[in-house]
Amino acid sequence: MNKTRGQRIALNTTGVVVAVLFAFPTYWMLTSAFKPSSDLLTPDYDLIPLSFTLDNFASAWAKPGFLTHLSNSLIVTVGAVLCSLVAGVLAAFPLARLRFRGRKGFLLLVLIAQMAPMEALFIPMFLLMQDAGLLNKLPSLLLVYFAITLPFTVWTLRGFVQGIPFELEEAAMVDGCSRFGAFRRVVLPLLGPGLVATSVFAFITAWNEFLYALVFMRDKDKQTLPVWLSTFKTVFGTDWGGIMAASVMYALPALVFFLLVQRKLVSGATAGALKG
Amino acid sequence: MATLHKTIHTKVPAGATPPAPARASRKRRVGLGEKSIPYLLLAPAVIVMLVLLGWPALQVIGISFRKLDLGELVRGEVVWVGLDNYTAVLADPEFWTITMRTVLFTAAVVAGTVLAGLMVALLMRHLSGAVRVAVQVTLVLAWATPILATTTVFQWIFDQQYGILNKTLVKLGFDSFAGFSWFSSGASTMTVIGLLIVWQAVPFVCFTIYAGLLAAPKELYEAASMDGASSWQSFTTVSWPAIRPLVTLATFLSVIWDFKVFAQVWAIRQGGPDGESTTMPVLLYLRGIAGRHFGVASAVAVLMILVLLVLTARYLQLLLRSREADVS
Amino acid sequence: MVGIATIALATAGCAGSGDDSTDQASNGEPRTLTVWLMNGSAPKTLTDSLNKEFEGANEGVTVKYEVQEWNGIQDKLTTALASQDPPDVIELGNTQAPSFAAEGVLTDLTGDVDSLSGDQWLASLKASGEWDGKQYSTPFYAANRSVIYRTDMFQEAGITAAPTSRQEWLDAITKLKAKFGSDPQFQALYLPGQNWYTLLSFIYDEGGDIAKKDGTDFKATVNTDQAKAGLEFYKQLLDASGTTAPKDNDEQNPEQAGIYGQGKVAMMIALPWELGTAAKDNPDIQTKSSAFPIPSKTAGKTAPVFQGGSNLAIPVNSKNSDLAKDYLKLLLSEKYQGQLAEAGMVPGASTDLSALDANPVSKAMAAASKNGKAVPATPKWATIEAGQNPLKDMLTAYLTGTKDLDTATGDANTALDAAFS
Repeated sequence: MNKTRGQRIALNTTGVVVAVLFAFPTYWMLTSAFKPSSDLLTPDYDLIPLSFTLDNFASAWAKPGFLTHLSNSLIVTVGAVLCSLVAGVLAAFPLARLRFRGRKGFLLLVLIAQMAPMEALFIPMFLLMQDAGLLNKLPSLLLVYFAITLPFTVWTLRGFVQGIPFELEEAAMVDGCSRFGAFRRVVLPLLGPGLVATSVFAFITAWNEFLYALVFMRDKDKQTLPVWLSTFKTVFGTDWGGIMAASVMYALPALVFFLLVQRKLVSGATAGALKG
Repeated sequence: MATLHKTIHTKVPAGATPPAPARASRKRRVGLGEKSIPYLLLAPAVIVMLVLLGWPALQVIGISFRKLDLGELVRGEVVWVGLDNYTAVLADPEFWTITMRTVLFTAAVVAGTVLAGLMVALLMRHLSGAVRVAVQVTLVLAWATPILATTTVFQWIFDQQYGILNKTLVKLGFDSFAGFSWFSSGASTMTVIGLLIVWQAVPFVCFTIYAGLLAAPKELYEAASMDGASSWQSFTTVSWPAIRPLVTLATFLSVIWDFKVFAQVWAIRQGGPDGESTTMPVLLYLRGIAGRHFGVASAVAVLMILVLLVLTARYLQLLLRSREADVS
Repeated sequence: MVGIATIALATAGCAGSGDDSTDQASNGEPRTLTVWLMNGSAPKTLTDSLNKEFEGANEGVTVKYEVQEWNGIQDKLTTALASQDPPDVIELGNTQAPSFAAEGVLTDLTGDVDSLSGDQWLASLKASGEWDGKQYSTPFYAANRSVIYRTDMFQEAGITAAPTSRQEWLDAITKLKAKFGSDPQFQALYLPGQNWYTLLSFIYDEGGDIAKKDGTDFKATVNTDQAKAGLEFYKQLLDASGTTAPKDNDEQNPEQAGIYGQGKVAMMIALPWELGTAAKDNPDIQTKSSAFPIPSKTAGKTAPVFQGGSNLAIPVNSKNSDLAKDYLKLLLSEKYQGQLAEAGMVPGASTDLSALDANPVSKAMAAASKNGKAVPATPKWATIEAGQNPLKDMLTAYLTGTKDLDTATGDANTALDAAFS
C-alpha cells in the first residue's frame, strides 16, 4: 500500500502513542523493580525514578527455588502448548471444512467446556487426579493445562481456518492434491499467525496458573513459578520490590517465546497468500 | 476476485461417454475409511475434553445438589440435599444485583476490549517494522505479566496518597485530585478493575484480529486500490470479511472470560467497598470456597453457566442453525 | 446411563476413608512423620533442633518437615486433608481452627490435654481449639499489637513517659503535632481506617465485644453502646492523629511498617515484627523505637487486646497420630516454648514470658497479652475472615461519614448475624 510520507508519520506517531499508553503499567513495574523498597510509595513526584538499585533482582534471583520452579513451569507449559496446538489443528480442520454427524454437538461441547469457572472445578479435578494416581506429579498439571487451553485453541484455529478462502484449497486440489494435502500445503502455512496467537495465549494461560499448581503439587521441588512468586508475600510483610523484580524475570520467557514464534511463522503467512 | 479455475482437457473418443472430471470421481470413491476421518482427527481433542473437562463439569452439576463441606469431602460422604444450595444462593437479596452488575460489567469490558483490539490491530498493519514490533512487545508484556504484579501496579498507580495518577493530575493543576480516592464507590472501583482487565485482554484480541488481517490475500487490497476504493471501502470489502469470524470469535470468548474473571476483582478491593464491586465469581468464592462449602460453590457455578448461556444464546443459535459455509 | 452416572458421582469423593486405627507397626519399622508448619512461625533454629531431638528419641522415624506459605493454604489444606496421605501435624490460624474442628477433620485431643502442657495453655488459644465440649487443637503461639513509637521524637516533644491512659495518649499526640506538625508529611500516629484489630481493643476496653455466645451460636453485639463507644474513640483518635492513611484500607495496604520506616511517623499500632520490617529500609529506626501497650480508658490499666496466633492439630486421617502426639508433646514442652518466647512470640503453652522482656517492644506485647481475647470461636469466623469483613466496611463507612454511627453499627450487626447463621 502506498502511503504519503505525512500519512506514514501520522500512523507511526499514533503507534508510538499506543505503545506508550499500553506500556505504562509495565513501565511502572520495571521502574519499581529497580527502586529500593522504601521508595515504592513516596509523596515525591517519581514519574522518572528517583533512585536505582539492583538489590531487588539480586534478592529475587537468590530466592530459593527459582531455577527449579522455572524448569517445572517450562516443562508443563511448553508441553501443554504443544499438545494443545496439535490436537487443536487436527480438530479445527474437520470442524471448519467437513460435514459430519455430531459436528454441532461437538461445537457445543467445546463452547460450554469454556464456561465453567475454574475455581468450582478444582475439587472434581483434584479427585480425578487422585484417582488416577497423578497427584504430585508434573503430568497432572500438563494434562490440566492442556485441557484448559484446548477448547479455546480449537475454537480460535477453527475461526482462522474459516477465514481462509476455500478457493485456495480448491485450486490446490484441482492441481492434484488430496483434501488433506491441500490443507497441509495451503492452509497450514497461512495458519501461521493463528498458531502464533493461540500458542502465545495458551503459553501465558498455563504460565500464570496458580490454584491447580498449588494444590496438585505437594512437594516444593515440583512446584511452578506462580507458587514461587507467592512466597514473596510472607506473614512478615511483602517484599514488593522483590515481587516486581521477580515478575519481570517471570514475564521474560513468555516474551522470548513470542519473539521466537512470531518471527518464524509470520514470514510464512504472507508468502503463502501470494502463491494463491 | 481472481479466478482460480483451470480448464481440464480430456480426450474423448467418439461414441464413448466422457469420463467424469477428476474431482467427481474422487467423490464417488468416498468410502467408510474417509467417512471416519473427521472422527479420527477429532478424537484427541474430544477425549481430552470429555475426560478432563466434561467429567469434572458433570460432577460440578452433581455436587451442586449435595452438601459437600470439608468434612464430607474428607470422609468421602455423599449427602444429597436437593435444591437447598440453589435456594440458599437465590434467596440472597443481593443475588440479582450481583448478577446484573456482572452482566453490565462484562458488557462494558468486552466492548472496550474488542474495540480497542480492533483499532490497534488495524493500526498495526500500517506501521513500519520497528514501531510495530515495539507495539507488539508492549502488548505481549501486558499479557504475560503475572496478575499479582499487574493488580499491585494498578493499585499503586491509583493510590490515594502516593499514586502517580493523582500526583500527575495535581501537577497539571487539578488540585481536587490530591488525596482523591478512586475506590470510594463501587462504580469507580469497577472502572479501575475494568481498565486493568481491558489492558490485559486487548493483546489477545489484537493479535487474533491482526493474524486474520495478515491472512487476507494482498492482491485483494491491490485490486481494491486500483479500482479507486477509499481506505474505508477497502476495509469493508476486504478486511472486514477476513476478520469478521475472528471478531465474533474474540467477542464470544471475551464474554466468557470476562464474566468469569475473579483474581483481579478480588485483589483490588475484595468485592468492596461494602460489597459494591462484588460480581458472580466473587460470590462463588464468598459463599462457596471461603467457607469450604463446595456444594454451594458448585450451585453458583451452575447458575453462572446458565447466565452465560443466556448471554451467548444468540451466538449459539446462529451456530446451531447454520450450514457449514455460513457460520462465522 | 443415569444410573451409572449416579453411582459414579456417589463414589467420586471417596477420599481417605478412615483406616487410621491401625498405625504402622512401631519399633524398628521406618516411619515418616509429615509436619506442616507455616512460614514465619517457629524459627529455623527451633525446628531444626526439635526435629533432630525427635528423630533421636524415636528410632526409625524421619521427620518430613515442610514450611508452608499462608497464601492459598486454605485450598492446600482442604485437598491435603482429603487426600490419602494427609500430613500428620498441621498449624492452623486460631481464627481458622474452629471451622476445621466443626467439620470433624481433626483428631480429638481431649484426653491428651494434660500431657500436652495443658495447665500452661493460653486461655484464648485454648478456646479457639475447642468445639462442642472437646479439644481439637492445641495452642502454639500468639501475638498481639502494641503501640510502637519513636523514643527520640517523644523526647523532643517533651513527653516524659509513655502514655498509660487514653487521655495521656491524646495529649502526647497534641504535643507531637505541636513540635513536628509543620512538616506536612509528619504523622503523629499512622492509623488506617480498617485496622479492625485496634477497634476490637477499644471495644473490649469499653466492656463490650463483637459477639456473645448464645447456646452453640453467636449473636453479634456490634450495635451495643459499648461497641459504639469503642468505634467513636477510634474516630476521635484518627481525627486527632493527623494521619494521611487511607480510610478504606487496612494496615497492610499500604504496608504501615514501610511508612513508619520512612521516618516521619511517631507511632503505629503494630505487631513486634513490623518494626523489623521497618528496619530493613532504615536500620537506625530499631534503636530509636520502643513500645507501650494500648492504653485503656481507665488510667493504670492496659486495654484488652485481640490475640492472634496459631494452633496445632492432627488430621483425623493421619496414619501416625501416636507419633504426632509425641511430636506435639515435645513442641509444647517448656524447652521449645521458651525458645518461642526468645524469638519474640507469646508462647501458647507456657506461662513464662520472661524471655520477652529482653526487648522493649515484645515486653510491651507480653504485658498486654495477659489481657488477650480472640474472635468468637465459631466455624463461621473463618468464612468472614476469608471473605468480606463487616467490621472493615463499618469502619470505612463511619470514618468517611458515609453512614452515621447507628446505621454503620446496625448494618455491621446485621451482616455479622447473617454470617454467623
